[in-house]
Amino acid sequence: MKHIPQERRIVERMVPGVLCLEGFLGSDPRSLSEIIETDRRALEDIGLDCQSVARRLEKVYEIAVANLERPVQVGTDLEAVHLSAMGRIPCPWGGCGLWPKGDVVLTDRTTGRVYRFTALSMHLIGLHGFFQGRGHRYRLEPDEIARLLGLGKEGSQ
Amino acid sequence: MRELQIVLIATAVVCGVCTVLTVLLLLAERFIANYGRCTIDINQGARRLEVRGGSPLLGTLMEEGVFIPSACGGKGSCGECKVKVLAGGGPIAPTEAPLLSDQQRTANLRISCQVKVRNDMAIEVPPELFSVREYQAVVERIVDLTHDIKELRLKLIEPGEIEFTAGQYIQLKAPPYAHNEAVYRAYSVASPPDEKDHLELIIRLVPGGICTTWVFEHLTEGHTVSLNGPYGKFRLSDSDREMVWIAGGSGMAPFWSMVRFMKAHNIARKCTYFFGAVRKRDLFLVDELRQLERELDWFTFVPALSGPAAEDNWSGETGLITEVVDRHIADGSNMEGYLCGSGGMIDAAVKVLLKKGIAEDCIFYDKFT
Repeated sequence: MKHIPQERRIVERMVPGVLCLEGFLGSDPRSLSEIIETDRRALEDIGLDCQSVARRLEKVYEIAVANLERPVQVGTDLEAVHLSAMGRIPCPWGGCGLWPKGDVVLTDRTTGRVYRFTALSMHLIGLHGFFQGRGHRYRLEPDEIARLLGLGKEGSQ
Repeated sequence: MRELQIVLIATAVVCGVCTVLTVLLLLAERFIANYGRCTIDINQGARRLEVRGGSPLLGTLMEEGVFIPSACGGKGSCGECKVKVLAGGGPIAPTEAPLLSDQQRTANLRISCQVKVRNDMAIEVPPELFSVREYQAVVERIVDLTHDIKELRLKLIEPGEIEFTAGQYIQLKAPPYAHNEAVYRAYSVASPPDEKDHLELIIRLVPGGICTTWVFEHLTEGHTVSLNGPYGKFRLSDSDREMVWIAGGSGMAPFWSMVRFMKAHNIARKCTYFFGAVRKRDLFLVDELRQLERELDWFTFVPALSGPAAEDNWSGETGLITEVVDRHIADGSNMEGYLCGSGGMIDAAVKVLLKKGIAEDCIFYDKFT
């Protein structure tokens, strides 16, 4: 498993109440390295990497933000809405700047499933390969979100 | 028996070593890490503080009544508490580096919560920060304005009055609760400045937000809260140009203050206020603003919905607020624009106002950042 430099320090900033109310790890009992490695492999299995997922999320994010909280269709049966919020939040890795708060809520109309992500989520996925811990409101299952966004072997990269 | 003796002796030796180390650490703290009295010169002699060295600059200044805006309460994560350090700041700490751009480093800006006062220092802060104070207030009223926006009305108790300009903001302190540490968050003042003994704030729930969750789930009427301020340069200009105001959500706050200030001071400067929401349930203070529109011939209020539902029975303006502004403003060459809301809304609104001919230096905004 790939070792993450300063993992202990990063995890300290990921616990609830340090940078945000709910932290970043949810109820996931796995180590940070394990979460990242497992997610990387899940994407690798479908011929993708974290950067391609982050890039597609960024496109959805831009469309949602431009619609000023009005729900907008971003794919077949896929609706996105940006809920703005005051403030910025730093990356728990540190040294990556501050990211605007505010959620994009993505709804799969066929299943009714709802996915949430933020500007920081996209950064965490794209740069650090971190999709957040299981049980967290911002956790995105890599293969599931990739399929939803039309990426991977079955989708159109 | 002999083995027990060995164990006891070993334990005693370890305890003894630990005690000696503890004493040495305490002595080091007392004599080596004691920076003694230090002088902090602010704004080339405008103020000189004699302080005890050894603590972070942010906290040291706060103890002396000089408040620097900080959202994270000095944990080095928000990067808000920048001050210009001209001398005595030492090298940039690893915890500061990520929060400073090359330009900011060249300008001698430092993250004040990460700079320790170790010797005499010379710093520069915006002069208006000298008027910032810490206040204690009692929550007099909490009103649900929408499903996710509340209005707090605070009665100041110590000091009992505040001087501010319509458009400025304060920092509200969320005390430690659950597993959260104390944080400060900025909120524009919604009440008019003439009402010096009260402050009204308009707060929208941020999912997972430490301060707003505290406001929505823990704060009740009668609670005492801490805040400091006022801060910010968002305010009415001195000109008599016609104004376009654009806001959404809790971006209502500074304009709710400004319009009541203008009414109280008979400032009859032509103004159209565009307020955007998605559905009718997201609108608030509409009746009050409609009433002002009837009373003040210089004031026009244009609420607009971008996604009204059928049950909203909405007959007013529809579309994104930027589209509505685009339809209403013909020539903005002699106008000023004032904006408060999300980054996305501000960016889009600035483009529309520039397209309408409003000069870039006549567009003022308060981003949700």
